[in-house]
Amino acid sequence: MATDSYAVEVEGVAKRFGKQPALDGVSLRIRRGEVYGLLGPNGAGKTTLIRSLVGLVAPEQGTVTVLGRRMPQLAVLARVGYMTQQAALYPDLSAEENVRFFGAIHGRENGVREALEFVELWDRRTSVVSTLSGGMRTRCSLACALVHKPDLLLLDEPTVGVDPQLRVQLWDGFRKMAAGGTAIVVSSHVMDEAERCDRLGLIRFGKLLAEGTVAEIKSRAGVDRLEDAFLKLSGVSAS
Amino acid sequence: MSGRRVGAITKRILQQFRRDHRTLGLLFGAPLVILALLGYLLRGGGDVPKMGIVNLDGGPLGGIVASTLERSKTVSASSVSAGDADGRLRSGDIAGYLVLPSDFSAKAQQSRTIAPEIHLEGSQPGLSQSILQAVSQSFIGLAGQAGGIQFTPRITFLYGGPSFDTLDYFGAAFIGLVVFFLVFVITAVAFLRERGQGTLERLMASPLRRAEIVLGYMLGFTVLALVQSAEVLAFSLLVLHVHNVGNVALIFVLEALMAIAAVNLGIFLSMFARTEFQAVQFIPLVIVPQVLLAGIIFPISTEPGPLQALSRVLPLTYAVEGLRNIMIKGADLTWSSLQLDLGVVLGFCVLVILAGATTLRRRVA
Repeated sequence: MATDSYAVEVEGVAKRFGKQPALDGVSLRIRRGEVYGLLGPNGAGKTTLIRSLVGLVAPEQGTVTVLGRRMPQLAVLARVGYMTQQAALYPDLSAEENVRFFGAIHGRENGVREALEFVELWDRRTSVVSTLSGGMRTRCSLACALVHKPDLLLLDEPTVGVDPQLRVQLWDGFRKMAAGGTAIVVSSHVMDEAERCDRLGLIRFGKLLAEGTVAEIKSRAGVDRLEDAFLKLSGVSAS
Repeated sequence: MSGRRVGAITKRILQQFRRDHRTLGLLFGAPLVILALLGYLLRGGGDVPKMGIVNLDGGPLGGIVASTLERSKTVSASSVSAGDADGRLRSGDIAGYLVLPSDFSAKAQQSRTIAPEIHLEGSQPGLSQSILQAVSQSFIGLAGQAGGIQFTPRITFLYGGPSFDTLDYFGAAFIGLVVFFLVFVITAVAFLRERGQGTLERLMASPLRRAEIVLGYMLGFTVLALVQSAEVLAFSLLVLHVHNVGNVALIFVLEALMAIAAVNLGIFLSMFARTEFQAVQFIPLVIVPQVLLAGIIFPISTEPGPLQALSRVLPLTYAVEGLRNIMIKGADLTWSSLQLDLGVVLGFCVLVILAGATTLRRRVA
């Protein structure tokens, strides 16, 4: 049953691209205010799972419920922020114009300054995106995803190309948003990022192999390092 | 200069094309299609211009001229009554008619001048030219028999006039074509860029409805297209002095409708292309055949029969015809032919708007 305490409920979702299974019976629940890390190698199905949460992928089997609404549903997307893997921005617009546009299509235009300050781009707000560095574009893309203060924030590898110092700051920001009740789903294959999540889901070959807090996953694998746990847990399943 | 390095680039290019079947098809298929179309258009035994002969001559010479003309291969001449001729000219049924007055033979014998009246429809210089040529040829035979006769025809034009030139004829059509073509290309490429840079994915993950995206795009590009339309129109009329006897506002309305249609055609067709490169390939497939068949260069009435039928289903045909109706013939909204032209262009607009919105939904769902 869909209860309002869950931001995301995924039940037995399967999706194939041609013959290749991208998602193979994935079920998971993410609470409000929780930071959930999707961990897995390239091509494991992380992006497909995230896209199914915003209705861009229609599952062949199973159901997806977001913020209490069965997907696909358009209205609920006003409360969801989605940062794609590629920094999807309009290169001819300034950073501020980009953020304002994405705010407007989500029905909110007054969070622009806050969003740009959050990613430390307020000083560069008039810069045209095509003149920004890769890391700045990533940050601008992040600002576009959270300008409307979503209740669910989906981040597909958000800190690629972001320097370590800013990464720490961004994570502080994520934690604050989570404390305010925002559920955050972060896909990553960077382990130190995974350590900062409340719970992790290990995904490989479209299957959810293991789920739990960082400590739970380490103890289940019987190792001290998350990286080893990941290799061990996914290796067991692969054989 | 290293042959190997140059060779590596050459090889890479050929490898890329090997995988891109569509581009290959275009590269080797499109030229044949376009040339075949052109060949058929020009040699396919199209119709020659139709003209009428009003022979009122009491003497023998009128009959000789008439029968020479009727045998002519460059026009299709048939005799019409003096009462019908003008009506048939106005309805576009004939492109011109020759009047041989009752004193034609007598004057030719007495004053050694022949002065037939030639009435031309005038909106299509090519057709007028053919008729004038055929008529003067038919008199050459006569001059040979009678010797030393002066040929001074009196020519009147229903539309246009003696100063009406090729630019006047093409100008009207090109005002529509230029706008349609450029707006189409720019919209298609812009929409594909949206897909390529990943922002379309973001739009799709937002509460935006598909219709809102298409409508927003349409309005944005329509603003640009309307400014362009106004600019093209002003330049054509004020700088080039393209012949215009019609209502400028009406020209602008038709142009604007074409621009809106082009925006939506661009959105619609960009759904069938993955890259900007592929979008450009729609030009030979969508634009060139329309340019050849829409009556811009070759009058539709002289095309081979099957191509005439094809021309009649192309929306650009009606846009071109409408613009010529307004600019050359001074048509207003009470003309049924202009009502048809506007109706078809409007219908096409609605069709591509719906097509764009529907395809967008399908592609993303």
